[in-house]
Amino acid sequence: MPEYKGMVQPVRATPEEMRKIHIEPVPDEQKPQKALEYLDQIRKKFRSFVMAMESCTKCGQCAENCHTYLGTRDPNNIPTNRAELIRKIYKRYFTLEGRWFGKLVGAEDISLDVIEQWYSYFYQCSQCRRCAHVCPFGIDTCEVTFIGRQILHWLGITPKLHASVGAAMEKVGNHTGLPKPGIVDTLEFMSEEIMDEFGVEVEFPVDKPDSDIMYIPSSADFLLNPYTLMGAGMFFTYIGANWTIPSTVTEAGNFGLLFDQYWTQRGNVMRLLNAAQELGVKKIVWGECGHGWRAAKMYIPSLADRPVRWPITHIHDEIADLIRKNELKLDPSKNSKPVTLHDPCNYVRACGLNENMRTIIRAVTTDFREMTPHGADNFCCGGGSAILFDDPEMYQRRILLSKKKAEQVRATGVGKNGDGILCAPCSICKAQLYPMVEEHELGVEVKGLVDLVGKALVWK
Amino acid sequence: MKLLIGQILPYITVTLFTLGILYRLGRWAGARIIHNITLSPWLQNNTQVAVRIGSEAFLFRNLFRFDLALWAGAFLMHFALLNILGGHIVGFGFLGEQFALIPFLGITPELSKEMSDLLGTVFGILLFVALLYLLYRRLALTHVKQVTRLSDNLWLVYLLVLVGVGNIMRLVPAFHIEYELVRDYIVALALFQPVVHMELLNSGFFLTHYLLVQILLIVFPYSKLMHLFGMFAERWIVNRVYHDPAPGLPNVDVAAARAAGIGVPADAAEEGV
Repeated sequence: MPEYKGMVQPVRATPEEMRKIHIEPVPDEQKPQKALEYLDQIRKKFRSFVMAMESCTKCGQCAENCHTYLGTRDPNNIPTNRAELIRKIYKRYFTLEGRWFGKLVGAEDISLDVIEQWYSYFYQCSQCRRCAHVCPFGIDTCEVTFIGRQILHWLGITPKLHASVGAAMEKVGNHTGLPKPGIVDTLEFMSEEIMDEFGVEVEFPVDKPDSDIMYIPSSADFLLNPYTLMGAGMFFTYIGANWTIPSTVTEAGNFGLLFDQYWTQRGNVMRLLNAAQELGVKKIVWGECGHGWRAAKMYIPSLADRPVRWPITHIHDEIADLIRKNELKLDPSKNSKPVTLHDPCNYVRACGLNENMRTIIRAVTTDFREMTPHGADNFCCGGGSAILFDDPEMYQRRILLSKKKAEQVRATGVGKNGDGILCAPCSICKAQLYPMVEEHELGVEVKGLVDLVGKALVWK
Repeated sequence: MKLLIGQILPYITVTLFTLGILYRLGRWAGARIIHNITLSPWLQNNTQVAVRIGSEAFLFRNLFRFDLALWAGAFLMHFALLNILGGHIVGFGFLGEQFALIPFLGITPELSKEMSDLLGTVFGILLFVALLYLLYRRLALTHVKQVTRLSDNLWLVYLLVLVGVGNIMRLVPAFHIEYELVRDYIVALALFQPVVHMELLNSGFFLTHYLLVQILLIVFPYSKLMHLFGMFAERWIVNRVYHDPAPGLPNVDVAAARAAGIGVPADAAEEGV
């Protein structure tokens, strides 16, 4: 179902697929009533949601600061209007002003059409939090679309992409459905590649007992972004670390954050803690994945069902730390092409990685150019929250959603000669930008940050 | 009318306003901060939190950074409003002689009255103009129009009328109201004394102004005006202290690893890669 009454919508999971992730779809005629029930339940729990429902003054500041509105000019893609899709229901049933002055304040009765609106617009939101960042009150529309998607999920409405990823995660521990033999094979192949290209011996230990460090790569790094994983392997080898990759969690991402913050997200958290305990590690280091890093860093403390005994840091934190201590010998001339950095939203607005990424990129490249705006003010790539849908209508949307990013990249001039590098150290950003730099003809190659580190290491 | 607006309603207003605010704050407090959704870059200590929340609340930092025109309108409006509310309290409380109470400035009571008049006039006009600008924005700018509901415009019109009536009393000598009249009325009201006979209540403009204020206060706790408190509640969620876990990998000695030539193949090591 690519469209519903003129609204684009991602293809949804079938009832069978929903059952695989433990959801029994609610029949259409019961959906409005059930949606209200779930909304009532959830609003009493999350203050971030209540405040987003109850303190917006509609000043309009978020509009021109949201890449989805800038790209589509669809009024429902203005963050406060996106939240209004649920706020109008909230007002109607849970506030005095809505019950007494319904029309005046824009309250509306719940209906199937409203639920379909949620599905269309909550899955056009990248949950990048730029609206929270610019809002005078700090209202976080991301919290609204999180909860909207949660209610949709409970109703049995989840994009096929997200549902299948949730199922794969439960089955094999990564989003791509890659089983352990495949993981080991791919890693051996990467060792060979590293030998051929860089002339160094790098081993990727899998499930090595009594390792000190457990590295959690993004599963996309096995297939789509091999240089990121190769870079990480080279880094850990270079510093002589006793490290391993757990075969049960070869996934830095956690799609639970994006559609089901209850069972799916918590299940992945517990899976990680089990792996850490079994392998007896001392520290967990996270790979390049934006939403996954947010889910790990900010949500594990509140989702874990038992004490978390392991400090968790990002590989950028560790590389930047060693660069500051002058312990890595790096040759920036190995990356001499013009480079610009796309700040993944989750890194800069939700995880505080801003400075560390810059410490690294300045140390490993010779021609680094900042985008405008950058850092916490940066715009999303348009793929945020994994709205990486491939069906034709949604794909067209993705081109629109990445328009602002394309303008930003073009303005840096790095792709002028067709040999620029767009460093986007997040798997979702990479997956969005690989096709989008072609669509917008930006003349850049998309790479991770650890890729550049691996290339710049001086071994002897 | 005098009995209703001047004598009875004020007590109802104060009660409903207080209970309403408590209800709304309790409703917010009932829901919890479940996950840590602090916005980065991190604030490192509570002083930084206070500075951030304070600069957002009193200087409208984000509006300044991302939309100067909106900042100008919103800041002027709220700054004028704050001064007018303060002016009502000290002006009536000290009969316009409040500035003479500041020590060492040598301001005479007469000068203080003139200053009080001037400030009241200036801020009254500023407030009216700023409200007009905000209404203009809602009607003229596409993206603001797209987020505006009918009630948003009605609130601005309501405030314009309320402020407009206030300005008439200040600017038109014939309708001017002396500070003493208001002070005596408020004192009587606070002491639960009958006020219906008082001269103040003969002014139609005063009654209108006063009624509009009371309706506003009654509706306040259930309306968007609660953003006054809402902004602090929201900021308290997204602007908190956060400390990153310390970097540093267990049992890693880079110098030793490099000296041992880990990763460098034996034959390559001799050639010097």
